[in-house]
Amino acid sequence: MNHPEMHLTTDEIELWAQGLLGAQRAFHLSDCSLCRDIADRERKVILELVQLPRFAPADGFADRVMAKVKVPTPSGDWQER
Amino acid sequence: MAWAKQGHEAAFRELVRRYERPVFSLLYRMVRDRALAEDLAQETFIKVLNGIKSYRPEFKFSSWIFKIANNAAIDHLRKKSLDTLSLDGSPSAETPEQMRATSLQLGGKGETPLDEVESRELGTAIEKAIARLRPEYRSCILLRHVEGYSYEEIAETLELPLGTVKTYIHRARNELRVYLEDRRE
Repeated sequence: MNHPEMHLTTDEIELWAQGLLGAQRAFHLSDCSLCRDIADRERKVILELVQLPRFAPADGFADRVMAKVKVPTPSGDWQER
Repeated sequence: MAWAKQGHEAAFRELVRRYERPVFSLLYRMVRDRALAEDLAQETFIKVLNGIKSYRPEFKFSSWIFKIANNAAIDHLRKKSLDTLSLDGSPSAETPEQMRATSLQLGGKGETPLDEVESRELGTAIEKAIARLRPEYRSCILLRHVEGYSYEEIAETLELPLGTVKTYIHRARNELRVYLEDRRE
């Protein structure tokens, strides 16, 4: 564990942004404006990233995939579709 | 998975249903073209399902599928030299000469790299910022913060050294932050 007075590492800042940094190191932020500034800016980016939506392919995607997949039979043969 | 390996069509469909959004989203953000992303997603699932018997259960299934999807995207970007590739050259380039030697030359179609980025779905500031990242950075940052992968899982999925993954992610977040802050000013 890093000394409480040492500036936060990039990994620690990421942990802090996720609410996973230990209390002792997180306490450093209350005393260090440099780390707090960096951490706040980093957290904004991480928040934007984690809120990104997932997109869906067009309807019928699974059907189009399955039409081109060879489904193995339980006996181990491959069934052309 | 065991059910799918035994050859049940319903299990195959369930795998497609479960992973189509994450796989398509990764590919869409990599190539920034819906039709192309769908083709690559289809190619990914066909490869995965046709090769299901070679799947090794000690690895996460999602890691396997993301690895195939990412390889498809990177291969495509390399082959076609799409404008989604970095204009600054290879991530390993350290000197201006190396960067010039590995940078892409865009075709003269009268389109800027950002024209395609202005699409409705990928038009937000954060999406535009992601579009500017090198593909290698983009895969890492999307797996880390959209899919919630650990650094170790990303290293395994993308077959990169752990230190490289950390470097890519830190650089990527730094570039995103600078881009977003510049836009706000």
